[in-house]
Parts: sequence; structure tokens; C-alpha cells
Amino acid sequence: MFRRTTWLTLYFLFAIAVMAQPAYAMHIMEGFLPFNWAALWFIVVLPFWFWGLRSIQKNIKSNPSLKMLLSLAGAYTFVLSALKLPSVTGSCSHPTGVGLGAILFGPAAMSVLGGIVLLFQALLLAHGGLSTLGANTFSMAVVGPFVAYGIYRLVRKLGGSMAIAVFLGATLGDLMTYVTTSIQLALAFPAQQGGVLASMIKFMGIFATTQLPLAISEGVLTVIVFNLLSTYNKNELQDLAVLSKEVHQ
Amino acid sequence: MFTIDQYAYTNRLRVIHPGEKMAFALITLLIALIAPNLVIPAIIIFLMAGITIGVARIPVRFYLKLFLVPFSFLIAGIAMIALIITTQSLAVTKGITFLGWTIGVTPASIQLAGKIFCKSLGAVSCLYFLSLTTPMTEIISVLRKLHVPALLVDLISLNYRFIFVLLSTVDDIYTAQASRLGYVSLRTSYYSLGHLAVNLFIKTYKRSRELFVALTSRGYNEELKFLEVNYPFSWLFLFLAAGLDLALISLTIISWR
Repeated sequence: MFRRTTWLTLYFLFAIAVMAQPAYAMHIMEGFLPFNWAALWFIVVLPFWFWGLRSIQKNIKSNPSLKMLLSLAGAYTFVLSALKLPSVTGSCSHPTGVGLGAILFGPAAMSVLGGIVLLFQALLLAHGGLSTLGANTFSMAVVGPFVAYGIYRLVRKLGGSMAIAVFLGATLGDLMTYVTTSIQLALAFPAQQGGVLASMIKFMGIFATTQLPLAISEGVLTVIVFNLLSTYNKNELQDLAVLSKEVHQ
Repeated sequence: MFTIDQYAYTNRLRVIHPGEKMAFALITLLIALIAPNLVIPAIIIFLMAGITIGVARIPVRFYLKLFLVPFSFLIAGIAMIALIITTQSLAVTKGITFLGWTIGVTPASIQLAGKIFCKSLGAVSCLYFLSLTTPMTEIISVLRKLHVPALLVDLISLNYRFIFVLLSTVDDIYTAQASRLGYVSLRTSYYSLGHLAVNLFIKTYKRSRELFVALTSRGYNEELKFLEVNYPFSWLFLFLAAGLDLALISLTIISWR
């Protein structure tokens, strides 16, 4: 009897976890992190916000139209994340736009814009939360963009084509976001036996595997967008290249 | 376009000073986070739900549906906390053993998962109270009064205003594409979505230029000024909110002992 109920419970938990739309699943929900951890991630993220704001401020002095462009870039990221992206597995997900934003606007600006987008997602869409804003900003707006941008630059420097650089940047940026979230959850809730590492494997198992196809979908989409942009909109891209170089200094 | 945003502008608590609502929501959220047991978060859920539905008059069905939004994360998350995978099975572990590995739960892990479940939902109810009763523009004006850096506040408020413009553009493009079978298969979906993202980007870029020209020709000088509505302080709300929070805090202190 006991074995049967256990099996049933396990089956249902598994079914719910698999069927539940992984859509925005990677934002840590409101209140999930204990107070200490929520506060710690805010402290970790603060210097990045400071740094991002400083660099934006500096550039606005010489180029006042930048403020409008950056606010619109934030709105663009938000709207992009509300789109439905058909995934390889058949379910729909939402692109994070992290890779695209990082390559277009530079990672420093993305840490500020990403934080703003996460605030709107919490207040307007009920995804994520206020107390977990620091943790989510760290994974989605600091780690994701920096990895995406770093990989993109690295592959370009090593002589890889634009498409490969963009694909790897966007996909790995996405994946590292999920890995970071798993680590954040594992640190807050270490397993009783095996500690943080065992707990990390648990969380990564459930999230990274469902998110892997989504990361690849996002990589593909980002390449398509980038190809179209570089074919038809060279001028705008050149403008932005100047911008992202300025912003990420 | 967002139902939450619509209710924020039309609910019955709209006339209350936004600062009071923000303080109440955030302080209660903090209490839910630091509460040592699951009774206090449970009280907070009922309290916040009662105020949001009963006083602010948010429809019950919509409110309950909203609670389902974080559920996929919540269930997966607490399942991972409750489940224990180990090679050394303890006497208290209930579960199945397979090739020397035991997957199961212990009373302690179940208790922890239950606590996190209540805490999260308690915090969510505070978030919903804020987002369903206070429009974004008013939250922004409170941030301005709290001396959040002007640049950040400007970015947030411009950002907010443009979300709606861009969303209606996306809606138009999406409808046009879908009516031409743009999303009929996986391949065409990627193609269409790519074009949508690019066109939206170009439109966004052009709009930011136009906005700058329009503002500059009207004397814009690195500072955006918005007309702000002055709300009178509601002493009744303040007293009730402070009373409830004080009661919750003293409950927390008692249960700490």
C-alpha cells in the first residue's frame, strides 16, 4: 500500500514537473528564497547596477539620445520575452532576449535594463518577484549577458563566423542563466545528505534538461534575427556597435 | 493589455496614497519571509487575499487564476526540496530503494517543503496586493520621492510607457503574419518570429530617434518631468495597516521564543 502511494505521488510530481510550462519557470518566484539569501543576492547585484548606471550616465553626457534608445531597448526586451517561441520539443516557451540584448547593447547596460525588465515582469505579469529580484537579476541580467557577450567576442576573435558566434553566445548565455539559478537554489536549500552539490544536481536535473532545448531554440532565433539585421540594417547596427563599445567600457 | 495593469488603475483602493500601499505590501512581505513557522504566512495569505478581493474588489476568479501563475515553479521547486536521493537510507526515510539508491522523503524534508510552500504563497499575496492596487506610474513617482537615482527612474518610466506602444505593434505584425499562415509549422514559425523581432527592433530604433527629436524640440534637457497626482494620506488605511503589521510582528516575535 505504502509503495503504491509513493509511486503514485512520485509519478504525479514528475508529471507536473514535466508538463508544467517551463515558460517563465526560470525566474525564482516571490518568497521562495529565505531572507538571508534574498538579501545577499541584492548585495551581489548592487555593484553591477551601480557600474551599469555610471557607464550609461557617462555616455549620455556625450550622446543625449542614448537615454531614449536604452529605455526602448528595455521595452523591446520585455516585449520579446512576452512572445511565444516554438520550441523543438513542441511546447512553447518565451525567449529571454538576453543574448540578443547583450550582443546589441553590451553587458553593462543589460545589467540595468535586465533589472528593470524583471521588475516589470514581477509587477505586470506576476513572474518572478520583488524579494527575489536580486537573485533573478544576477542570473538573467548579469551572468547571462556576460557569458553571451564573452563567448560571442571569443568566438569572433578565434575566427569563427558571425552565425556560430551568435548561436553559441545566445545558447550558452541562456544555459548559464539556468545553471546559475540552480546554484542559487542549491545554495539556499542544500540537501541533508550530500550538501550543496547533491542539491545542485537535483535542481539542475529538473531545470537544465527542460531548458536545454529552449536554449537551443533561442540560439537559432537569435541567429535568424542577427542575419536579417546585418543583411538589411547595416547602418543601425554600426550605430549600435559604437554604442555597445561605449557602454561596456 | 495586461489585466493586472488594468485592475491597478480601476480598483477601489486606487485613491489611497501609493506610498502607504507600498509600505504595507513590502513590510508584510518581509514578515512573511522572516516568519519562523508556517502559521504566520498562512495568516498573511488570508489577510492579503481578503483585502485584495474584499476591499479592492478584484474578481475572485481572476485572483485565484493569478495564483496559478507561479505554480509550475513552486511545485517543481518544493518537490526537489522534499525529495531526497541517497545511498544511505535512514530509518525515517520513506521511499523506494533501487540499486542501492533511495529516492524518498523524510518528515524533516516534508516539513521544510511545506514551510517554503506557505512562505512563498504568503509573499506572492503581498506582491499581488501591490501590483493589483497600485499603478506602475505611481510606484515610479514614489521611487522618485525616495531619491532613487534620477537616471534609473527616467529609464523605468520611459521603459514602462513604451511597452504598450511596442506591444500593439507586435500584435499587428503577429496578426498579419498568422493570417498569412506564418505560424503554420515550426520552420515558418522561426522564420516569422525572426522577421517580427527584426522589424520590431527597427521600429523601436526609429521611435527612439523620433522621441529624442520631439523632446529636444520641446526643450528637453537631460531631465524628464512628469505631472504627479497628489494623494492625501489616508489615516484610516495607515492605522489599520500599521495595526495589522504590528500584530503580525508581535506574533513573529512570540513564535521565535
